Formats: sequence, C-alpha cells, structure tokens
Amino acid sequence: MAENTGGGGRGESAGDKAREEFFSEAQEIVDGLSRDLLALDDVCRRGGSDAELVNDVFRAVHTLKGLSGLFGAAMMSGLSHELENLLDDLRLGRIELTAQVLDLLFQSVELYGRILAAAKGDAPEPAPEVKALLAALGQVAQQKGGGGGSVVAQYELDPGLLGVLTEYEEHRLRTNLQAGLSLYRMRVQFQLATIDSALDDLKSKTRPHGEIITFLPTGEGGDSESVELEILVASRENLGVLKGAVAGPNISVEEVRRRDGGPNPAASIPPPPFEDAARRDASDPYSVSISPPTTSGGDALLDEINAASGGASRTSAPPPAPSFPPGPGAAQPGTFPPMGLPGMPLPGMGANANANANVSGNQRELTLRSVTQTVRVDIRKLDHLMNIVGELAIVRGVVARLSERVRLDPDLKEIAPDLHRLHRSFDRHLAQMQNGILEVRMVPLGQVFDKLARIVRQISREHDKQVNLVITGAETEIDKLIVEELSDPLMHMIRNAIDHGIEDKDERMRVGKPPVGTIALNAFQKGNHVVLEIEDDGKGMDPAVIIAAAIRKGLVSESEAREMSHKEILTLVFQPGFTTRDDVTSLSGRGVGMDIVKTNISKLGGVVDITSDIGIGTKMTITLPITLAIISVLMLEVAGRTFCMPLASVEEAIVFDDAMIKTFEGREVMTQRGATLPIVRLAKLFHLEGWRPGVWINEAAATPKPPEVRPGRKAKSYCIVASVADRRVGFIVDRLVGQQDIVIKALGRSLKKARGLAGATELGDQRVGLVLDAAALINEVLASSPEGRIAGALEGPRSPKPASDVRGDGGML
Amino acid sequence: MVEDSASTRSFVRAILEDPASAAAMGALEVTEAQSGFDAMRLLPRARYDLIITDINMPDVNGLELIHFIRKSEHYRTTPLVIISTQATERDVERGKQLGADAYVPKPFSPEAMRETCARLLGSGNG
Amino acid sequence: MKALVSRRGEGRSALQRADELGKRAEYLAFMLGTEAYAIQIGNIVEILKPLPITEVPRADPEVVGVMSVRGRLVTVVDLKRRFRLTRSFTMDKKSRILLVDAAGELIGLLVDEVLQVYRLAESEVEPPQVLGTEQPPHVVGIGRPAGGAVLLLLDLAPLFLE
Repeated sequence: MAENTGGGGRGESAGDKAREEFFSEAQEIVDGLSRDLLALDDVCRRGGSDAELVNDVFRAVHTLKGLSGLFGAAMMSGLSHELENLLDDLRLGRIELTAQVLDLLFQSVELYGRILAAAKGDAPEPAPEVKALLAALGQVAQQKGGGGGSVVAQYELDPGLLGVLTEYEEHRLRTNLQAGLSLYRMRVQFQLATIDSALDDLKSKTRPHGEIITFLPTGEGGDSESVELEILVASRENLGVLKGAVAGPNISVEEVRRRDGGPNPAASIPPPPFEDAARRDASDPYSVSISPPTTSGGDALLDEINAASGGASRTSAPPPAPSFPPGPGAAQPGTFPPMGLPGMPLPGMGANANANANVSGNQRELTLRSVTQTVRVDIRKLDHLMNIVGELAIVRGVVARLSERVRLDPDLKEIAPDLHRLHRSFDRHLAQMQNGILEVRMVPLGQVFDKLARIVRQISREHDKQVNLVITGAETEIDKLIVEELSDPLMHMIRNAIDHGIEDKDERMRVGKPPVGTIALNAFQKGNHVVLEIEDDGKGMDPAVIIAAAIRKGLVSESEAREMSHKEILTLVFQPGFTTRDDVTSLSGRGVGMDIVKTNISKLGGVVDITSDIGIGTKMTITLPITLAIISVLMLEVAGRTFCMPLASVEEAIVFDDAMIKTFEGREVMTQRGATLPIVRLAKLFHLEGWRPGVWINEAAATPKPPEVRPGRKAKSYCIVASVADRRVGFIVDRLVGQQDIVIKALGRSLKKARGLAGATELGDQRVGLVLDAAALINEVLASSPEGRIAGALEGPRSPKPASDVRGDGGML
Repeated sequence: MVEDSASTRSFVRAILEDPASAAAMGALEVTEAQSGFDAMRLLPRARYDLIITDINMPDVNGLELIHFIRKSEHYRTTPLVIISTQATERDVERGKQLGADAYVPKPFSPEAMRETCARLLGSGNG
Repeated sequence: MKALVSRRGEGRSALQRADELGKRAEYLAFMLGTEAYAIQIGNIVEILKPLPITEVPRADPEVVGVMSVRGRLVTVVDLKRRFRLTRSFTMDKKSRILLVDAAGELIGLLVDEVLQVYRLAESEVEPPQVLGTEQPPHVVGIGRPAGGAVLLLLDLAPLFLE
C-alpha cells in the first residue's frame, strides 16, 4: 500500500484502491441522497420544511464535489459545484424549496447515477443532460433573496463559542432564535471509549424536543479518558421538559438567557407546526417503513401444507418422506403430487399486511447507525471463505470416520465418547459458520425498493396518474448478486403496473376507486426463499384480451384457448412475442416484454407467478432463492451414480413402470395428466452402461462403496417430469434419493463439451454430484427429432408450475 | 488526519506514504480519524507531528476540533493543516484565527499537499 | 573478498559450475506407462494422491472425471489416454495427480508414478527432432540428466489451449 505506482501484493496500487473506494463511497452517497430527497419531497408535500434534511443533502453534495475533484471526475465535479451552490442558498434561506427546485434535485440524482456508470465504463456519458440541468440550476440561482439579521448577538453566548461555529451552524442558530425558540446549553461528560453510543443515545433523547446546533469540546473537566462537551440546543420546550428528557449523570442543562433579560420566548409564542413532525410519522405510506419481518403469511401457508400432508397416502415414499408436500386434492397412491402450489391464494399476505406503527426512533437515525456499523466487503473474499468452509467439511468427514473407527476399537474405548462429542461440536460450529458467511452476502431488499420509489414518482408524474407506493419488508435480505439483477425486472413490472394497470383518476373515480392508485411491494422470507409481491389495485388483466392477442400471434389455437383455465391464460403473457400493445410507449421503449422479465428471473433461479381479477387488480409474485450459490435440488441415482436436478425445473416425480411407455413416431412417450410427455432414459442419454460406481477410488483410501442392486431383480424406476418454459420432458431414473440444498460450483472450461451439466457439488465424503442443466437437456431431447418438436407442440401453452414452495431440508455438507 | 470521507482519507494516505513524500520529509505514518470524536480519542495516545483536518464534519466540526487541539498542552504548536472546499471562506478564516497553519483547498493536487506538509514539518515544529 | 570467492569456486564440481553458467530449469519427472516424461516444476501447483474422482458423462475420452480438492472442482485428465498411449483407464497405488494451472483452470494430470525433480542445464536438453519421427507440439525437448535417464519434456500450453 505504500507505493503509488504499481507494486502491492495483488498488483493493486494505493491509487487503484483509492479509486475503488471512491466509486463505492460515491455510490453510497448518491443512494443516501436519493433517500433523503424522497423524504424531503414528502415533507414538502405536506407544506412543512426540514432544515436538517436540506443540510444533509447539502453535505452529501459537498462531499461529492470534493471527492470528484480529487479523483478527476470532471463532469461530476462540475455538477456538484452548481448543486452545492443551490443547496447552500437553500439551507441559508436565500432560496425557497419549491416543487420545481425539488425536481431539479431529483434529476441531479439520476444524472449522478449515470455519470458514475459512465466513469466505470458501463454506459455513455450523459453530457447533454448534464448541460441542460446546469442551465436550469443557473436560472434558479438568479432568484436569490437576502439572508437573515443578527438576533444572535442578543443572547448571552460566549464569543469564543460563537467563534467556532461554522457558517451553517450560525445560520441554524439564527433561524431558530428568529423563530422564537429558546436556547439551551448542555454540559455533558463522556468517556472517550464509549462516546459514540453515548452520543447517539443523547441525540435520540434530545431530538424530539429540539434541534442540536453544535457540539463543542470545552477542554475542561476531562482527562485522557474522558471529555466534556458543551451542546447547544434550540427548543420550544421549557427547561424542565428538556432536563427531564436527557436526565442522567454528568449532564447539566441550563438556559442561555437574553442579554436584556427579556422573557423566555418558549413560554409566550404559540408554536407553529414543528419541523420534524412530518419525518417521524411512522405510518406514512410514502416512506420506506422499517417494520419487523412479516412471517405470519408464510407460516400460515406452511401450516396448511403440514395439515394437508396428513391426508395423503403414498405407497412408495422415498426418504425423507415429509419433504414432498402434497398439493390440494392431488394425492393418488403411488404418485408424487406437484411440487408447487400454483394459484393457491396465500393467506394473510395482503399488500398492507404490515401497518405496524411501532417504528422505534427516527428512520434517519437508523440509517446513520447502520452507516457507521457496516463494512464494505469484496464478494470474492466471501467466496474464498466459503471454499475454506468446504475444506473444513472434508476434515469433518475424516474426523467422523476416525471417530467411528475409534468407537469400534475396544482398546480405545475410553476416548471414544470424547471424540464423538468433539466431532458433533465441530459439526455444529461448521454449519453455523457456513450460515454466517452466507448471511454476510445478504443485503436488504430496501436497496432496490428505494430505487423503485424514485421511478414510481417519475412515472406517475409522466402519466399524470397518482400512484402511491407502499413498501413492506424492505429489511428482508437476499444475496447481493441477486439484488443487483433484480432492479431491472422489478422496474419493468412496476412500469407495466402503472402503464397498463392503474387507471387514470377519472376512470378510477368512475368505478368507485380512490383517485390515487396503490402499488404495494411486499417482501418476506419463506424457508430458503424470498418472496416478492407486487400488487396493484388497477384494472386487472382481461383474459379475453389476452386470448385474442395470443390467438392473433399464433401462440394458441382457438380450441386450445377454450380449454385453458384462468390461470393458464394469465401466464400466456410470459410467452415470448406477446404484448398487448403494438405501439411502443415512451416507457416501454426498450421492448419490455414479460417474457424477458421471466427469463431474467429464471436466471436468478427464481419463478414468477401472476394472479389477477378484472377491475380489482393484479398481483405478481416472484420467488427467489436466497443466494445464487445455493439451490434446492432433487437427488437422483442413475446406473449407480448420483445426479442433482434443480427443483426449480422439476414439475413432478412419478413412479414409473415400463408399461406406461407408448411409442409415438419412433420415440418413447407416455401419457401424463392427459397430455403426451416425451420421455428419455437418462442412462441411455449419458451412455451409462451397466452398474458401475462411477467413482474411481484409490484403493488406499477407505471410502464406502455405493449400494448394489441384486442382479435379476427388476428395480423400480422413476420419471422426473422436468420443464422449462412450456417444454416438458420426462427423465427416467433409477432411484430418488431425496431433496437437498446444495452449494453449486461451476465446472471448468475443460468440461464444456459435456452438455447437459450445469455444475457440480460436493456430496460429502469427497464425492461429487453432477448437477443437471434441465433446460439444455430438455431442448436436446425435443430438438433431436421432428417428433420431439411435435410432442412439444402438443403440450400447448401450459404454464410451468413454480417448484419453489418446497422447503429444503437444510444443507448437508 | 481527520476527515469523514473514507476515500479522501485513502487519497491523502496514498500521497503521504509514497516515496516522493518520503524523500521530501522522511517516512510518514498516517493515522486516520473519521470524526472529531475519533480524533479526540486518538490524539492523547501518541505524539503526532502533523494534523490534517476537514472543517465540515458532523457533530464536532473542524473549527471546534482546532479550538480543542490548540487548548491542549501537547498540541499547542503542532503544525495543523485545514482541507476543505472554497465554499466556506469564512470558516477557513476562522480556522486560521483559531490556530491552523495552512489551508489546502480541495480539490488538491498531490504536490500541493506534499509541499504544504513538507514546509510545515521542515520548520522544526512538533 | 577476492580470496573468499576463489576458495568457494574450487570447491564445486565442473557440472555445478556449468549449471551456473548455463540456464537452469527444474523439471518434475514422472512415468506414463514405460516412458518417462517431465514438466517444468513452475507449472505444478501440487502433487496429490488421487481422491475419489467422479466420472462426467459426455466429456472428452481422456477426462477421467472431476475431483474436489479443498472445495474446488478439478478436472482430472488421463495423460496416457491424451497421448493415445492406451485406451483404457488404470490406476494403482503409485498413481498420482499433478495439479497444474492450465490457462486459468486447475487441471489434474493423472500419472502412473512420480519420479523426482531434475535440474537440467541447457547442455542437457536436446531438441525433439533428435528422436527422428515428428513429435507432437507438446513435446518440446529431450532431457538427459546425468545418470542416464531419458525424459520427454512437455509443454502444457498446446495441450489445453483449445
């Protein structure tokens, strides 16, 4: 780190590191700016004002200006310079905060985002937009008024104290005194070691009663371990109230009197609406509410599943039985019901499920706290840690075997129980560590939601529709990589909701709806998945319109359309090539198709579902795995080898009998749920002859061999019905081992030729289980023959049932 | 160095720790403080020869920190540099009145920072 | 100073002096069937006893399978099959796996036996044409260290560039 020109362990110079930190910090500041502006917007709508927010925005831009200057980001620096001037005028009272000014501020935040992207090389520089904005900012600057007078001199304040106030702090002091607040001086002694938390505590006690102007170390009454601070507070309350609020040891509060001995203003002037009140309104629908995680909805569903599972009878339950939840009314003997529960209304998970108003403290205080307690981590370091955990898992396996051998050895009887206990302890801690590391990759969805709030505001203004965005569950966490990929699909969905869903004001009033439309964003965790719901109270989706468009585009025939259920019709919108609008609106300029959204979400290992009722609204549900690295799979055995099929692609698992095979134009098919399903034996597809372990083991290592099948006995087999989009294939396998959550790893380039494999995972005992690429295999099977394509077409536009509601069994390292 | 922006701290550290700076004023060890309080905690613990501080920081601002530093025994004469932007001229003036020795306006070039520090350290103070 | 240097010079053998004059490269030698081969030791990340290797369907015929080494997946390649020395796969107690970095990916090379490290001076390396018949691009020389061994020197790059 000492060199400025190359060198350093990983070829990183101090300059490179500083640049990386610049991007990171600048982005953080811009995100914070966005949040603050949204809050400010809200305050202003109610006719209030918030000096602290304005100052925060000013400081943020001021910092950005400094940073961009240091790192040579000229465009950002120029923009920040003008913005800072504007904000300075704003906070010193020289300009009024109008809607027009706010708009300019919002535009600036957008541009910051784009400038940062351009600096990283991800996008072109928005030069013309910046120029236009600078011109607009310049115009506003022309409208300056004057500053304030000097009421400060009337108070008994030590000139030394006044001398160390920055210009801004002086302005705040002046403003508060002019508004008739009283001034108080608190002297507090702090231990330097605990000062941060003690200060936060004091601030939270003081804020409800007034504004803190400044903190000044007095230089008295302290030693090397402690320090005394003088804190100036402006408040409408009287001395008694303030004293009561902050009461504690080492704290003294006194009033700063006017020199002429005039009356305490707080006693005489009736208070106008207090500035901070708006910010503290917890049930404010436009803010991102910090509510405790809602698990009520999810649990209710789980309970239903568990209750229903008592009723199913199965003749051939593979271990472990409880992990195959039955669908409603689908239990037939010998059949494994579908993994998903499509169309089942999820009880208790309405959009406004959380009107919980016990938001403790101030939203911004929470933000401040989290900023000082977070650490920025390179995700590669986390992957490295995960690998180490994997290594430890191997050690754990060896310890397990040793423990077993010791147990069986009569001479070592004494140490056996100790070793066993140690092994179990190791096991537990290892699992905890793995979970801990995975948790570090998690970030709250609030990140994405904030961005969306801004978009909603922008779009609703463009359309002149009033839309209220209600967000719950912003604290739900998900893998950072997923969050980054989520904003686009979510944005498209919301645009669609506003574009096609929410009606305009007149229309809404005509049908008896409130003039302001509502879009509810809800997120919660369910087992190893995160569920995101986007629900609007717009006009819903009309099946007739959808069918008409689908027929017109040749996606279905009229006869098929007649057979389709409401649900199936809705999912037609996910078909490639489907849009109900032939023209391209200014928003949908980039060809927003729901099929793209669905593809993007599938790439993340998730599924999308729609429910909608005409006139009432539409709800889209996205279910995502919590991290990309872990997926739920179905473990199966083919010719003695273990493979994993991602559950997201599995529709159903059926006990298979050769008698079910029919031949259709030379290919093997079977009838499943009233349709023809092409089938293929995985053993044949992979040329796995006979029964070999499939694992080469050095004789020296003592590893158990896989179980053997008695020759001559006809083994049962199973058919896994896998689907991708509307294409389905049944894969015949020998045995179902069970469900599991696994950490998937990529295969190297050297294995590119092995089509149909998505990766591999460690199965424990150093064995490797190959993960199948369902989509590739299905396409291969169907494309390999014209009959296959016909079989595919016969399926019709069936919607794949989301397989995501099945809980994993927890990881097995 | 007292500065609430992490990347500015990185930047200044990179300047002060590189060989050119070492040539001008000997090898430097930089301690970072991210707030006025942080600085107040760190200053008594070691003997610092040079203090660089921003002005606009939340809670204890840079002016108050300078005031506090100049009141303490150990650091009454230690070279002190203000880094800030030009917007608050009045604040910089105040800072100098309170005892700061120099002002390096942001954005600053590595040379400007290096020269100022070398000048202050070379004058035999601290 | 001068005296020290000359004293040290006399103590060493002619071969060692030759080593210092010419280039010195270290090679790890191993057996494939009846032939001895060698690769530069800088390429080798680690030498392992074979861990359980899982077969990968549809991979190239020379791929034995994949192996998990401390949490990382490593493709194991049977060099004998790669060089078309045999058709079938065998492994015994002396088999070892050489972990090498091939174009950014960790590959395991299965060999029958690991011999030793040889330090070859330039004089001990001959160009492959000496063998007469045209040699594949991965054979870059013949090593003849003192002691009579004959090593086919390999370069890995051509093997894994595709």
